[in-house]
Amino acid sequence: MIAGVFLQSGLLPEGLNVSFKLAPAILVVAMLTLFLGIGYAFRVADTEEMWVAGRSIGNVENGMAIGANWMSAASYLGMAALIALSGFYGLAFVVGWSAGYFILLIFLAAQMRRFGKYTAPDFVGDRFNSDAARAIAAVTTFLIGFVYAIGQARGMGLVGLYIFGDIGIPGLSGYQSMVVLMMTITVGYLTLSGMLGATKNMAVQFVILIVAFLVGLYAVGYTQGYSTVLPQIEYGAMIGSLSSEFSEPFVNESYYLWIATAFSLVVGTCGLPHVLVRFYTVESERTARWSTVWGLFFICLLYLSAPAFAAFGTDLYTKNIGPTFGDPGMTSAAGDVIVVLATQLAGLPQWFVGIVAAGGIAAAIATVSGLFIAGSSAISHDIYATIVNEDASQRQQVLVGRLSIVALGVVTTLAALDPAAPIAALVSYAFSLAGAVLFPMFFLGLWWENTNRQGALAGMTTGLVIWTVPMINEVLPTYVGSGEPYSATLAAVVPAIGSALIAVPVVFAVTIGVSLLTGEPDMETKRLVRQCHSPEPMTRMQSAEDIAATDGGEPGDD
Amino acid sequence: MVDRDGGDESTEADGGTVSQHARDHRETNYLEREVNLLNPSTPFMRDHLRVVWTGFVAWALVVFGPVTLTFVAPGPMTARMPVLGFPLHYFLVAIGAPGGALVLSFWYARKRDRLDEKYGIDHRQGTGTAAGDGSAVAADGGTDE
Repeated sequence: MIAGVFLQSGLLPEGLNVSFKLAPAILVVAMLTLFLGIGYAFRVADTEEMWVAGRSIGNVENGMAIGANWMSAASYLGMAALIALSGFYGLAFVVGWSAGYFILLIFLAAQMRRFGKYTAPDFVGDRFNSDAARAIAAVTTFLIGFVYAIGQARGMGLVGLYIFGDIGIPGLSGYQSMVVLMMTITVGYLTLSGMLGATKNMAVQFVILIVAFLVGLYAVGYTQGYSTVLPQIEYGAMIGSLSSEFSEPFVNESYYLWIATAFSLVVGTCGLPHVLVRFYTVESERTARWSTVWGLFFICLLYLSAPAFAAFGTDLYTKNIGPTFGDPGMTSAAGDVIVVLATQLAGLPQWFVGIVAAGGIAAAIATVSGLFIAGSSAISHDIYATIVNEDASQRQQVLVGRLSIVALGVVTTLAALDPAAPIAALVSYAFSLAGAVLFPMFFLGLWWENTNRQGALAGMTTGLVIWTVPMINEVLPTYVGSGEPYSATLAAVVPAIGSALIAVPVVFAVTIGVSLLTGEPDMETKRLVRQCHSPEPMTRMQSAEDIAATDGGEPGDD
Repeated sequence: MVDRDGGDESTEADGGTVSQHARDHRETNYLEREVNLLNPSTPFMRDHLRVVWTGFVAWALVVFGPVTLTFVAPGPMTARMPVLGFPLHYFLVAIGAPGGALVLSFWYARKRDRLDEKYGIDHRQGTGTAAGDGSAVAADGGTDE
């Protein structure tokens, strides 16, 4: 595993120019104001719009939203960091985070749209007719949002250092002050607008982040003579001149860990609640399919460029600061801002570096929006309105939703003050969790009608346990202990970063086994699943439930 | 690259000349047929799953093939490519896998649209086919339960 840096709270990327800079600051403030303006213009007052944007979003717009929602600080900053620091192992993230969309497309996207609910826990609760299952899914969703957002907060804090310098909140280090500031802004904007503002914002955020990233890459490549028109391919020629650690396979991490990581990220993609919600917001199942293709195309734009940025950054770091690999080598803090650092080291003007930094912030904010909306709807819609207070008015639901966004923001900020791992690793933990607990429920729930309540409860519990054990083993030591895993053997067999490789088959077996041993679900549930697979088109506002409850659009019904 | 959202505006088979598949589709009550990934129960599901599994196998090869080959035969896999200068394994993983997944996604979405055509299903109105779905859409959409 990547060793945590001792006393991370003082996180300081070496070589990064930490000071207040006027032009980049104006840029970021303008960008945030724009987000707030859009959020305000599309502010919402009812839940249908708050959670699923009135189910009105089209192909390309949803594709962009998928892209922005998806590409977080982990894609924008963390991926280049891992490729620079861990070489070939870093590519497991490029592959896992892009290829997973194909599995999502062929097995889940359209069926989820036909199911047509509001949230991921909705699916689990209604499919398995169980409030307990709904609650487990809701808690998992909240937990995913929390773990995932820690990485985003770390990214925003580090990038913010370049733009605003050390703002010096008393009692906190420069990095910590920045995390507090950035998270406050994010939460403020989110409580103002719900999903509709979020979808519109995501399309804008996508444009900002992709343009910033590509412009940065082209400028660095061109000014340093690395590349001209297609850096995504041209960096190949310079791999030979970098240290062998950059491209040599399986020197840093084993083949097993590579596969475990990539697999975890693939199944995690298919189990992430905030990704799933993107399919509930579209017009039709066909749009769900095509917007996935668009989304993957937009994602590939960045993912094919990240290794190039990493190669440029590694080379610039070696020339200007010191050897990237070996001891001391590049710290994880510097790695996490390699994209910004490379632009700075290439001697490009401050306002230009500011654009690249702003893109990182846009990426983080877009994803945190998606996560917090999913997390807060899990609390307000799935737990509060469905289980606790069934007569909750719209106003109460929206209020509880906003309060849970604030709560998520506070716990995330606290955890990010002293993060245990680099951005991409933090985010991968959330993926392992989604892959282990939610993905098997979605997959089996949609593709095998006899999956029942007992099977789902047993499966989700198993998944939670298998995810928690390596987390305790590897992450807790950074807070309590030496920083090394308690059990090295366990860490090798079930790595926290790729625990879904072990968890998914086990959870599948448990869920199927228990479902076979207990009674079949009732006919109504089976009809619900069948309706998700029927090729009959549905109207925009219908859910599978509406149709399954009648006799399914047969001639001469009603 | 991807310049349109699939779906050729080809002539529809509707009303007058209905293909055998479309007739099958109309006569199938999908709510009476079992859903089981390993045992498709309707012609449509059988066709669809054939596409799904084909795609899945291709995907597994594209995504996990190069890495595994690199593990098995590191020598030839890490050789430098002519022209591009990439080590072969790096190129296949960093560019081949994400690019391959994208191409496959496009292929699948196209195939799935073709399947709708074959069975005479039209998604463009966003409402039911000839078998009218009876219930009018409630203006407020969502189900409040």
